[in-house]
Amino acid sequence: MKKHQATAFLLLLLAALVCFFAGREFLTMHEEEAVYPSPHLTIKKRLSDYFPGLKNSPGDSSVYIFEGQKMGGTLLILGGTHPNEPAGFITAVLLVENLEVTQGKVIIVPRANNSGFMHSDPQEGNPQRYSLSTPGGPRWFRYGSRLTNPIHQWPDSVLYVNPAGQKLSGTESRNLNRSYPGRKHGKLTEKIAYAIMQVIDNEKADLAVDLHEAAPEYPVINAIVFHENSAELAAVTLMTLQMEGVDIRLEASPPNLRGLSHREWGDFAKTRAVLLETANTSHGRLKGRPSATLIINGKDKNYMKAAQLGLLFVPFDEDGISLKQRVSRHLASLRALVSGLHELHPDLCIQLDNLPNPIEVQKVGIGPYLTPSK
Amino acid sequence: MIQIIYHFLVLYLTFHLIWFVIREKKFWNQLSGVIVLIMFLLRLLLIK
Amino acid sequence: MSEAVIFLLMVGIFAILAMILKLPIGVSLAISALAGALLGGKGLALRHLVEGSFGYFETILIILAAMIFMKVLQASGILDSITALMLKTFYRKKLPLLLTVMVLIMFPGMITGSSTAAVLTTGVLVAPVLIRLGLSKVKAAALIAMGAILGMIAPPVNILVMIMGAGVDMPYVGLTLPLLIIVVPLALVISLWLGYKDIKIIRYDEMKSILPESVFSLFGFRLYLPLVVVLVLMLSQSLLADIMPDIGIPAIFMLGSLVGLFCGRPFHFLKITQEAVKEAMPILSILVGVGMFIQIMTLTGGRGWAVISFLSLPPVLLYLGIGISMPLFGAVSAYGSASILGVPFILALINKNAIITASALSAIAGLGDLMPPTALAGMFAAQVIGEKNYFKVLRYCIVPAFFLLFVGIGVLLLAPILDKFI
Repeated sequence: MKKHQATAFLLLLLAALVCFFAGREFLTMHEEEAVYPSPHLTIKKRLSDYFPGLKNSPGDSSVYIFEGQKMGGTLLILGGTHPNEPAGFITAVLLVENLEVTQGKVIIVPRANNSGFMHSDPQEGNPQRYSLSTPGGPRWFRYGSRLTNPIHQWPDSVLYVNPAGQKLSGTESRNLNRSYPGRKHGKLTEKIAYAIMQVIDNEKADLAVDLHEAAPEYPVINAIVFHENSAELAAVTLMTLQMEGVDIRLEASPPNLRGLSHREWGDFAKTRAVLLETANTSHGRLKGRPSATLIINGKDKNYMKAAQLGLLFVPFDEDGISLKQRVSRHLASLRALVSGLHELHPDLCIQLDNLPNPIEVQKVGIGPYLTPSK
Repeated sequence: MIQIIYHFLVLYLTFHLIWFVIREKKFWNQLSGVIVLIMFLLRLLLIK
Repeated sequence: MSEAVIFLLMVGIFAILAMILKLPIGVSLAISALAGALLGGKGLALRHLVEGSFGYFETILIILAAMIFMKVLQASGILDSITALMLKTFYRKKLPLLLTVMVLIMFPGMITGSSTAAVLTTGVLVAPVLIRLGLSKVKAAALIAMGAILGMIAPPVNILVMIMGAGVDMPYVGLTLPLLIIVVPLALVISLWLGYKDIKIIRYDEMKSILPESVFSLFGFRLYLPLVVVLVLMLSQSLLADIMPDIGIPAIFMLGSLVGLFCGRPFHFLKITQEAVKEAMPILSILVGVGMFIQIMTLTGGRGWAVISFLSLPPVLLYLGIGISMPLFGAVSAYGSASILGVPFILALINKNAIITASALSAIAGLGDLMPPTALAGMFAAQVIGEKNYFKVLRYCIVPAFFLLFVGIGVLLLAPILDKFI
């Protein structure tokens, strides 16, 4: 064997080794964290029960349904539309593990874009998981990507014209919150969007809430984004939250921004569509070293500097904006939305028992409300 | 369908990248080929 | 160790490897990234190194497919035939030649939003014409690189604006006019600046003597089929995106290449592919290396530190900061610059019309494709004319790049006035 052939052989072996070790780590992303539903869960379904086109696909995901004895309104809650926005996901998990519904119906999809949970964004350096301590020891949760995993939907087109007709850059075709109202025979992300539309339709959701987070430098933050059909509801919710001391603002869903949940859910499924945003340092462009700690405590010196420069749209100091604060904010908003719906439409009452108290969550953290790992 | 076509494209290019590494005489150029090849192998196996 | 120190050490290690030990740039970047991970206490960080490189996987597929296509055009005799046709048409008309050339170079960039696509399709076609009519090789390459960047910025498809728009929820609507205001004057000025003095008007017999061999008589119009296929598919992807199945740029180039098998002189497809891989290798490994470098830079806090440092510039220096940092960061890729810096800058200028701001920032970010070590546009233009050292090409891009930069900054400054007309 010539010398260059020998080195080629060794280098190819090296490539195989790197593939093995890096690949093994990438594949751990396919592992799903455990969720322990509350004993009051009525039934656990899958998105594919609403749209069989998702069956056996990485886009299929659990749908948790809590139904009360008494008739009332129906609420859909989506977490994990963007798997790199943990407060939305964790809020959904907390609800699944704690809720008891005595009147009306609550449907929760914690991993709305399941495929995105199996991917991590290149060049972001994010951890693949983070742990929250519970009385029975730590429990880990997945930190994924904003976009569908490219191994599930590939290639990105040059230009993406979404189902609502808006032109976007090609990568946005993997963004669930640009793909509504979805396409039955479309790309995986569009199919997921279609399935979620089916859930809203079949379950006749009166109110649908999409839980998100945004970077602190993003203008729409600590906000309730509402479809014009829920303007009154949003206003009532705002008043309730302000009385509780939660600083939040209203943003009307822009009619020319198409493909987003707060637009198309309202336009196509005629449900009251609301999107909630909190401030997540770990997916901002200014973030310092990415880590599980950054996700959980939200402290970052770059963002402190940015706040001093007036570049942020939320107050930010050395205490950061912790995950428990963000989850608490989502919980408070959800509670206020439900009471607002009841106030405006007494027939659409939804009775949420055992909803973790937002103030308590902020005080004692998320862990005490999570089921200890089994 | 289109995903299958791209899978074949990646397979075809992976084959050529391996061929490049084997035929290339200079070590550092071989190493250049290898760092590119790693990505192709992982995509070919649908790992990343 | 602070993030700034780690970042500077990574840069230092890169400089030693690439400049003193003369290792390939891609490998040097990869090794300095690995060193950064070790210095930052992240161990070997294999997952991060590989994950970072995947940021360029699509780009690498496009480059490989486009290189194969370029080789097919050369081997099948298509390129020579088109050069001959263009020479016959334009050998006496200097201004029409330069303007046609500019539009031709820009066209694939306009419809794909990618400068690489422009350089490696029509850039390949016009290069021999320009060179035979008296333009030096490196100046021809500079013209192609600049045209490709202008094409990338020009409407209808400007991916840079789309990326920034995605970050601030701005729909891609109403951009045609602001983008044309930026691009059209520049296209005129730059093509004349680089070409007018050197392009010669020649006599018929002179033209005959430099005419490459055309195989048009052998194959007829079939010869143009690969190009037609590529351009029509690209066009339909952007204009008919809602009804055409989107097959992506790599598949378009591959399809064009396969069509080329039946349209001109016969050639060996496997050999052509191997040549394309060999020639593209330096740039492919650089992209992989940059991907690793950026991921480790992010992982060790260097990226956030760089972004906040630029944003902390005092307001008077903000425009200077934009003018320096966006092209500089474009060394990562113009797209990366648009995403990482473009979005915060739009937000910092939020009191101005976002459409105009984004258009101007996209022009400035586009310059990133001239920034070493990646310098995608410059490097491919050098490859097209067969020049190994792409810095020679970049030298001639400096003045036109400043034109572009001034127009970009000018539009940013004049945004409140332009706002009234748009």
